[in-house]
Amino acid sequence: MVTKAFKELAILNAAKRGMPHERICFTPHPVWGKTADELRVYVDGPDPVSGKPLMKEVVDGLTVPLSDDEKKTGMVSVSVGPPTFTDTADNLQDYYLNNGYTDFLPIILPTEEKVDAMLKGTSHHPDEVVGKMAAGAYPAWSYTVKQVAASAVMSGARPEYFPIILAIASSGIASLFSSTNSFAFAMIVNGPIRDKLEMNYGIGALGPFAQANATLGRAWTLLSKNLGNGGIPGDTYLGSLGNNLNYNNVVIAENEEASPWPPFHVQRGFKPEENVVSLFRGLGVVPGQVARGSSVNESPQFDYQMSDLFSTFTGFFGALIIADPLVAVRLKEQGYDTKEKLIAWLYKNTTQTVKDYKGRNYSYLFEYPQALQGREPFATWYKLPDDAVIPHFPRPESFNIVVTGGQTNAYPQAGNLSYGVSVSIDKWM
Amino acid sequence: MNRRKLLSLLGMSPAILAGARLEAQTSKKPGAKAPAAVGSAGKIEALNPRGMPPPITLVPMAPRLPSLDGKTIYLVSDGFPGADAFLNQIKIWFSKNMPSVTTEYRLKAGGFADDDPKLFAEIKAKGNAMIMAIGH
Repeated sequence: MVTKAFKELAILNAAKRGMPHERICFTPHPVWGKTADELRVYVDGPDPVSGKPLMKEVVDGLTVPLSDDEKKTGMVSVSVGPPTFTDTADNLQDYYLNNGYTDFLPIILPTEEKVDAMLKGTSHHPDEVVGKMAAGAYPAWSYTVKQVAASAVMSGARPEYFPIILAIASSGIASLFSSTNSFAFAMIVNGPIRDKLEMNYGIGALGPFAQANATLGRAWTLLSKNLGNGGIPGDTYLGSLGNNLNYNNVVIAENEEASPWPPFHVQRGFKPEENVVSLFRGLGVVPGQVARGSSVNESPQFDYQMSDLFSTFTGFFGALIIADPLVAVRLKEQGYDTKEKLIAWLYKNTTQTVKDYKGRNYSYLFEYPQALQGREPFATWYKLPDDAVIPHFPRPESFNIVVTGGQTNAYPQAGNLSYGVSVSIDKWM
Repeated sequence: MNRRKLLSLLGMSPAILAGARLEAQTSKKPGAKAPAAVGSAGKIEALNPRGMPPPITLVPMAPRLPSLDGKTIYLVSDGFPGADAFLNQIKIWFSKNMPSVTTEYRLKAGGFADDDPKLFAEIKAKGNAMIMAIGH
């Protein structure tokens, strides 16, 4: 039984999982927030898709004998079409756009010549399987080095960027995810490769000011669409509003040289000279200038500023501090000589009441079921009285810190983003 | 709208309904033209950027009940908000219209797409059917 807004998703997903004849009935949408009387009208009324009485469909669905088709077993192979397309360049641009292969911006057409040039950016064989990706709870698609190269060409990336794109593809993390929430994704790039590729980690570090920064993020979205089958509205993408960050995601080259702390990848156990890309998922990035503690009349209290910002985030995702080096240096001067000290302070001092916690939809949707299974800290939190004060985030590991920016002003930004994985770029050279 | 037509409009061959080879769907615009044949002047050739979808194993549907009289139906919410209140109305409907049917409400554990082996084992052991509510 599915609400009408997810009709296509329900039918397609059932078919993709081998149940094209799954018996599904539909209710009006939404059911959330409706009164008992309103829901009774739903139950007593028709299925909005078939027009038939809903409960008759329910009873029939459980009692009408199966047809021969519903009893079928076997395997069905899935085709993605021919290996190549041939036409004028303009017609091919339209074809790729109209068939959902692009981000609706002009692409570099992945001719054999361009793809061969891209493949020179790695020592890996074109036919090597890089990984598997699914844009949600769907059967994952797999892909080869050459198939990743096609999306890399389309994004406008240079061959020297290809190892990073392969590293991202090998993670299996799609940057277009199926939730109605419209998720945002980010990457942090560490190591000497930042300078080799002339990545920007100075003025405008998060903006459109370097080819590598622009195309790495774009490549992630294109390969999520083409290799992970993501981004099909109504099927593998359901974001109600969408997220503008998905065009090229949040690409952060860390300003390791200006940071007073060890770089992000070193915290994750890599050596400073290793090249690493780390991936994040969450809801988005906000500026830090407007939070409490950002007064220009007194010495800025960046710790309180960040805590104030984070109190508006959902604790289901993590908190990524994106600090200009001026912010990081000031925090160290204030006594946070390690990132861990700052994180410990933030975890302890960013709090909420249990009543507020229970009232957040993420808590009910995702953490209450875990509480029922005894998982901590949720199991304990749900047993506390409403006026008890608890951390806003479930654990200190929810917090991460990266330093980037051009030091024209002491501004931070903050992402409601969770750390996912760090992947070696060197492996894909 | 029947399922055959929907699958076709969304770029999925209705042939899957007969267990035949399937065309993977994309967000295809209706009326999108296929490129011209190889060999035409002024044309270039570009690669299909798509990855490799897994084959689909057809899953036969569970046998149906001859009647619901005296049977136990589990009403399962997969956790989306509002499902519990909606399923409560289903429960009320059965109690008024088919009082010989016993209904049991359960909230599936874990995330939306997670299995709940403990619940599923309970349903297999004690229930005759399940209705799962998905969506908000």
